[in-house]
Amino acid sequence: MLLHILVLAPFIAAILMVATSKEDPKSSSRLAFIFGLAFVALSVMLIAAGNKATDPIEWFRIPGTKGPVYYYLYSHGLGAWMVFLSTALSLVALVSARVTSCKNYRNFAIGIFALMGAMNGTFLAADAVLFFFFFEAMVIPAAILIAGFGGEKRREAAMTFAIYTLVGSAPMMISLLYLLTIADNSLLLSLAMALQQLPAGTQAAILASFLLAFVVKTPIFPFHGWQAITYSEAPAPLSAILTGAMSKAGVFGFIAWILPIFPLNMGIVSTMMWLGLATAVYGALMALRATDGKKLLAFSSMSHLGIAVAGVFSLSEAMLPAVLVLLVAHGLCAGAQFFLMGIAERMAGTRELDKLGGLAGNSPVFSTLFGALGVMSLAVPGTAGFVGEFTVLLSLWDMGPLAALVMGFTMILSAAYMLRFIQKVIFGKASGSYDNGPRTSGLEGASIGVMAVLLLVFGFHPAFVTDSLHLFDEEAVEQMTDAGKDASAEEAAEADEGDSEELPQAMTPEEIAQLDSSLKANGFSDEERKSLITQVVGAEAALALESRVQAGLDSAAAPTNEEALNKEASND
Amino acid sequence: MTNLPLWLIPLFPLVATILLGTIAVVSSGGKKGAAEGIVGALAVLFPAMSFAVVAILAYGMPEAGIRETLCNWIDIPLFKADIGFMFDGLSRIMLLFVTGIGTLITMYSIGYMHGDRGFARFFAYINLFLFSMIVLVLSDNLLLTFLGWEGVGLCSYLLIGFWNKDVNNCKAANKAFIVNRVGDIGFLLGMLCLVTVGGSGILNYDALTSFIQMIMTAGHVEIVLPVLSLTGLLFFIGCTGKSAQIPLLTWLPDAMAGPTPVSALIHAATMVTSGVYLLARLGSMFAILPVVLDIITVIGMLTAFWAAMAGLFQNDIKKVLAYSTISQLGYMFMAAGVCAFDASIFHVFTHAFFKAALFLGAGAVIHALAGEQDMRKMGGLVKKTPVTACVMIFAFFAIIGFPGFAGFWSKDLILERLFMSGPMGPAFYVIGLFTAVITAVYMGRLIILTFFGEYRGSKESEEHIHEAPACMLLPMVILAFGAIFAGYLWADSIGITFFRDSLAPVVGSAQAYAATMHSAAHVNPMIFAGLGTLAALLGMFIAYKVYGNARVPAAKGSSAPEGRKATWTFFFDYVHKYCGIIPVQVLAWICDVVVDKILQATQWTLGAIATILGDGATVIQVRKVRLQVAFSVAGVAALVLVVLLTGGLI
Repeated sequence: MLLHILVLAPFIAAILMVATSKEDPKSSSRLAFIFGLAFVALSVMLIAAGNKATDPIEWFRIPGTKGPVYYYLYSHGLGAWMVFLSTALSLVALVSARVTSCKNYRNFAIGIFALMGAMNGTFLAADAVLFFFFFEAMVIPAAILIAGFGGEKRREAAMTFAIYTLVGSAPMMISLLYLLTIADNSLLLSLAMALQQLPAGTQAAILASFLLAFVVKTPIFPFHGWQAITYSEAPAPLSAILTGAMSKAGVFGFIAWILPIFPLNMGIVSTMMWLGLATAVYGALMALRATDGKKLLAFSSMSHLGIAVAGVFSLSEAMLPAVLVLLVAHGLCAGAQFFLMGIAERMAGTRELDKLGGLAGNSPVFSTLFGALGVMSLAVPGTAGFVGEFTVLLSLWDMGPLAALVMGFTMILSAAYMLRFIQKVIFGKASGSYDNGPRTSGLEGASIGVMAVLLLVFGFHPAFVTDSLHLFDEEAVEQMTDAGKDASAEEAAEADEGDSEELPQAMTPEEIAQLDSSLKANGFSDEERKSLITQVVGAEAALALESRVQAGLDSAAAPTNEEALNKEASND
Repeated sequence: MTNLPLWLIPLFPLVATILLGTIAVVSSGGKKGAAEGIVGALAVLFPAMSFAVVAILAYGMPEAGIRETLCNWIDIPLFKADIGFMFDGLSRIMLLFVTGIGTLITMYSIGYMHGDRGFARFFAYINLFLFSMIVLVLSDNLLLTFLGWEGVGLCSYLLIGFWNKDVNNCKAANKAFIVNRVGDIGFLLGMLCLVTVGGSGILNYDALTSFIQMIMTAGHVEIVLPVLSLTGLLFFIGCTGKSAQIPLLTWLPDAMAGPTPVSALIHAATMVTSGVYLLARLGSMFAILPVVLDIITVIGMLTAFWAAMAGLFQNDIKKVLAYSTISQLGYMFMAAGVCAFDASIFHVFTHAFFKAALFLGAGAVIHALAGEQDMRKMGGLVKKTPVTACVMIFAFFAIIGFPGFAGFWSKDLILERLFMSGPMGPAFYVIGLFTAVITAVYMGRLIILTFFGEYRGSKESEEHIHEAPACMLLPMVILAFGAIFAGYLWADSIGITFFRDSLAPVVGSAQAYAATMHSAAHVNPMIFAGLGTLAALLGMFIAYKVYGNARVPAAKGSSAPEGRKATWTFFFDYVHKYCGIIPVQVLAWICDVVVDKILQATQWTLGAIATILGDGATVIQVRKVRLQVAFSVAGVAALVLVVLLTGGLI
């Protein structure tokens, strides 16, 4: 039920918004705020509820395909968190747009709700056609909002955005249609099975067309042409949603659709990883030279998402939680930064970095938030960004030191452009007179503050995010192997694992004994030694256990270490 | 009393940060800032409570130390880290002087920052810094240390750019953060290297030590040596960033843009020594990496010498002290490079007192002269500000290693260990001794130019010169006492080894291992003491001869050095510029102007072709009914044909 509400109710909310007054933004903003808050609450419930699925409802049949298209939703940690991002950013956008004197707040809210519904559908769809439907549907409200509420070049931006992303996913539509003529239905497993029957060349073509759609959406270099102009011309609250939630659809597509369906070979994996890293470096370099505040944020966003994609295609075991934390952190942080840049633009009347400056003296609360979020986007330890970037770095390190070095280089560059950005906007002296537009409203400041606090909370306790992850955990893999009883399912699971041979070997009992004796020699007391060994062994056993279960192997061998430990303990 | 939980220590400054931060934000809107009395009291009280907790814990600490795991931090497949604290001999000493000196300098700042618009904000940052620094030294694993490590870097950034109206301060702050970032990436990659060797558990210091011991007893050192050497190098890069060693040292002189108490606390006493702390903490690992140790010694030596020379050329009083700090850090790294971790930490300890005293003294001078920092415009201040002068002269004796003062004991120890360190030892020793002479010269120059001779500033400014208020003088005097007596915790020649004994449980085994590698001839320690004294006296004599009666050239405009002196001073700035900044700028230019334009052109061309095709198609769309019908018929025919030929698509 929760799933249905989250996907369908935003559209209903959009329709209900029509009933409010167009001239009087007060009433419509109140209604929109209540709706937005309700959706955030629902998405939090969704995260808390864990894995969930609705009953598949037969929706329609595409002529020429074997099976029906289902209206079938399911949620797992990844999708649920993306839904949270989409609802939370939409809420803040609704709050923020209230102060920015939008001429027609009602229509803006309608667009935001429609967009939210489409995004939620994308992140929760279990059926490929349904997914594709929502994936494309996202573009339309976003493009309309840009055309209606954007900056000076809004028409050009809206056209570029709509055409680029729609054209990008057109090949995916054709290959999906082609797959459906072979597959039993449009669910994940049957698509994967159907793909196995095709010759290698066709498989590669289908993979390429799927990749293209997600690469454009993310965006990945060299398909980022739409991004800078779109993010800078869109109204700031919408830019925040676009980068914080919608761009995640691309990364989400890689994880939730590409990895399970396609048996990837090393060539494609490393190409994608290096493309991700190239995007990261490219975005960072472009951000260094950007003169427009929103463009700088757009490129910064591109850089971070490039890192996320590189992380996805490192295919290490730590990949999924790492990328998820990175995405959540980036969604909150980049979203908040766009909101703040919107406020800066509103106050100063310009977003040219050279014309800004000195806002620290004018509006301290705004500047505190601006500086704090700027620093948080640098992945300083203690913020969620650090947990994400560090663990992604860990995954990349498995692929080779060079990849990790490139990411390190990006992290240095990110400090360079972000600090320059902070300095240009809030420090120094104002270089001209400002428009003195409306300042940060209490609600606006508070909601951005909450985002900053969330970043800190997830930074110190990322378990909130990582624990909710049940996409490829034991149950899911078991279900897949049970249901499949086919080689393809296992291959799909193995494709997720990548190089699962390089599991860290747990310590043997001899080694533990040796460690123990050497500790004793150094004067550690019995209790200390025991706890220390428990720590070391516990960590390794847990690792081994998880990795084995993930690989779909028999996990009976793992607990031997704990037995050995118990023996050790009894010997003492 | 010893059952106080360890997390109380970082908690106090954290609470103060939150309180003061809230006060700062809330009061920022009003015409007047928050009441300075309350803010100042809060700002001093919380670090003082931390210090009290540390003192109590330090008094009753069992020899093995106290360990405490608070909670889990990161828990994902392949990686696990806890938030845990470790209070042992090493962290005890670090914490005692971090919280102690931190409290004193906070107290001093109340006077120094009086009347500043960002009074509350300043103390919020200072407390955040203390929190990060405490976490850095108290943590029981590398990842949590990294939290403190970047945290102190962040606070350094915030405080250097504290007066953010001036863009130059902001640029200095940015530079500090970015250069530190380069080092931090080294730290991060170093951690990843370690994880590759021994899983995520090895990031815990105890586990790392036992791991090293395990491979040593099993004789597997050769197998892991390449990876561990790389790890050591990467961590050392991190240390060069934080502790301003070659090549990442350019940020520290610029960091003097911040308020002077900040320079004293962060850029002299505590933060910059965290690199030395890390080397000592990882001592068990570094002890088995001879190549890395040699690199550390050589880098430390070069840094000490280069910075001492650069210190000679500065006119800005704070810049002299900044280069002096770099030079002293070089000494500490030299000591760490020959596995004399206890000596290096001892120098960290004594240096914290005398350098903080020097900086606070310089701050008092600057305060007295209403912001003047150029030494060429000072002189004769000993009559106007006697207490400040006394404090600085005592600290001066300490830093040059005058017998009996704190620096004498620690510097002597380092030089002695250098000499004993193997075949290259005597060479290291000679350069170290020569650097000590230069140290005495530039410090002598500073004291002479500032306090003796005639006042060289303008007449009207002379009347306003005044001694600092009591709340500034008290911390200075206490620190001056430290500069005199801190050395007696480990006075080898008179048989006191308290300091060494308290560090022995932590670094003892590593040093013992290193000592077995090379045995040097025994030399009477009195010879080292004598030579050290001679170096100090010689330096003082040279300074007196050269600067005592010389006419100081009149100050023109900027206090920055010129000509060949500038080349020497800014050598590494040039290196950074040509090896780091310009290549990146060129790359960015290529991306922006070349690649991006090509992509845009491609995109535009494709769009244009589509538009042209569309336009062409509209030509057919005119009112020629017959033609359109013909097209439709042809289209249907074509479709039917295709279907027939392909045998039915559907």
